[in-house]
Amino acid sequence: MYNYNGEALKNLRIDDTSILDRLVDFESARKAHLTKDHSKRDKRMSLTEAIAEFVKDDDICTDSGFAYVRTPHQAYFEIMRQGKKNLQFIGSPNTNHSYMINFGVCRYSHNSYVGAEMRGTDRNYSRNLKEGKVKILSEWSHGSMAQGFKAAQLGMPGVFSKQLLGSDIVRYNPYVKVMQNPGRKDHDPVVFIPALYPDVTIIHVHAADRYGNARVYGPTVNDAALAAAARKVIITAEEIVPEIDIRYNNKGVIIPFMYVDAVVELPFGAVPGNMPGLYYWSRQWWEKFLRYGTLSEENLRSFMEYWIFDCKDQFDFVNKLGGAKWIAAARRLTKTVEYDNEDAGYDYSYEEYRPGHDTGIYY
Amino acid sequence: MTTQPANPFEMVAYVLSRQIEDHMIVYVGTGLPMVAAILARKTHAPHITLVYESGGQDPIAGDMPWSVGDPFTWRKSPIIQEMAYSFAQCYNGYVDIAFLGFAQIDMYGNINTHMIGDDFLNPKARLTGSGGNNDLSSLTEKMVLVGLQTPEKFVKKVDFITSVGHLTGGNSRKEAGLLGQGPVAVVTNAGVYDFEPATKRMRVKSLHPGVSFDLAQLATGFELLRPEGEIPVTETPSADVLEILRKEVDPRGVFISFPPK
Repeated sequence: MYNYNGEALKNLRIDDTSILDRLVDFESARKAHLTKDHSKRDKRMSLTEAIAEFVKDDDICTDSGFAYVRTPHQAYFEIMRQGKKNLQFIGSPNTNHSYMINFGVCRYSHNSYVGAEMRGTDRNYSRNLKEGKVKILSEWSHGSMAQGFKAAQLGMPGVFSKQLLGSDIVRYNPYVKVMQNPGRKDHDPVVFIPALYPDVTIIHVHAADRYGNARVYGPTVNDAALAAAARKVIITAEEIVPEIDIRYNNKGVIIPFMYVDAVVELPFGAVPGNMPGLYYWSRQWWEKFLRYGTLSEENLRSFMEYWIFDCKDQFDFVNKLGGAKWIAAARRLTKTVEYDNEDAGYDYSYEEYRPGHDTGIYY
Repeated sequence: MTTQPANPFEMVAYVLSRQIEDHMIVYVGTGLPMVAAILARKTHAPHITLVYESGGQDPIAGDMPWSVGDPFTWRKSPIIQEMAYSFAQCYNGYVDIAFLGFAQIDMYGNINTHMIGDDFLNPKARLTGSGGNNDLSSLTEKMVLVGLQTPEKFVKKVDFITSVGHLTGGNSRKEAGLLGQGPVAVVTNAGVYDFEPATKRMRVKSLHPGVSFDLAQLATGFELLRPEGEIPVTETPSADVLEILRKEVDPRGVFISFPPK
């Protein structure tokens, strides 16, 4: 039924295209949206319950937020602890699916960007790709993937884009198609980008009410579109507020309750990432992940054993970062960076993690 | 007291900053482009507006961001754009210039940030992928490319075209349907390059002090074009500018320490 780019199928060696279908299967997404319980009801449950009920093996899951900004890391870690298998991951950026490959959680990659900018390259993704432990189903740029999600949110079959033209990305993406702009007579190539419908998206927010209306502060990136598109939506929230608070303080409310299947009260749910206004990254955690953890399979396993499988929840994780002192330092730092705390005389310097130089300090 | 001359990173940051004109809207990534933009704002271009991929724009001044998603990139921003809208500003003509890094570049300014090797499914090394690289190169009016100049990075043919510069030269970028002028400059530790107007091949514009054409050519895996006449020496930063760079822009030497921290 779907008209995939044959050159990309050949280049990516995808023989059975059924693996690609669900991401662009608008009818099934619409049906999922129509048949889910539309009642405005209390959707609160534990993280364990939400992941067990709404994240299934083989699902297409998203990486939301911005790699390590308001990203639901603690929910991803619970997915790993529950041993989910063979998921596809899509997101712009798509940084977090890398460490899930080693545990069989992520099997397929719709890739836009894996890594952490200046902190070092992710050799784990490279190694897993070479060993065939992850299969790339499509290549994207951040903006073109964002347009695919946005098309779903806008309620349209797709958009015409001026991105990707002439690049090799179109030769490694079965979903996109270079076409003549139908609105012009002169030569005007465009790229058709179909609306993208992931199975499940988890979004970490500052506040939600028990129905799922959700408010964020800071960059929203693709999350409003992801919530509108996904067949299933889990909200993890720093705090659950009364509905009247959402009504009175509706600035930043980007997700209406009807999209949402589960609401999880999860303070520190974005740790070790940055939560705008609340806590700064653990920079050393990311540096150690990239500069030590990604170097070998053994390193990655021992790193994740300590930080994920040996933690039952986010509180264990925060305790390992430094507990109350970490919370205070991370809050002060992020508020100072945002200029909500006084910055005169504040010292932004910190000791980077480097191989052979591990202070054990994570703030 | 004499000021130490610019190290290679400081030189690149300075040359990049000179690509920015006052009142421009500048799309910046992490690393030296960010250093350059902040330096420009503190010197010759105080009224520029910075735009970041995570959505922040026009932040008030602060310290050096750790990432393009760092709160410094949206420090008291009047508005933070969704990702799709942020790149749309490039399409719609609200961004004047953007800077891009690369793992490989060819003579037409095409960029690779995807992989090293000739087999996509089994590369020698897999790299990050596009991120916003392709979006900016496809849409932005003027691109400035920045990276270290070695024969491994300046290659005849990139292993993967992540972002199109001048494609196969001539009019091919426009024929492919892309917007903007494409790359207007390449800034490296050795020199500054532009693209010859007809062929769109990379051409020496100026070389940094002590770098000869032969040396630049040795660091390049394709034939560099020579400009007419004598090759200019790249202007170096004054002691005052270096003081600002070292004391105000990147005081902890996050990006301008050499050798790198």
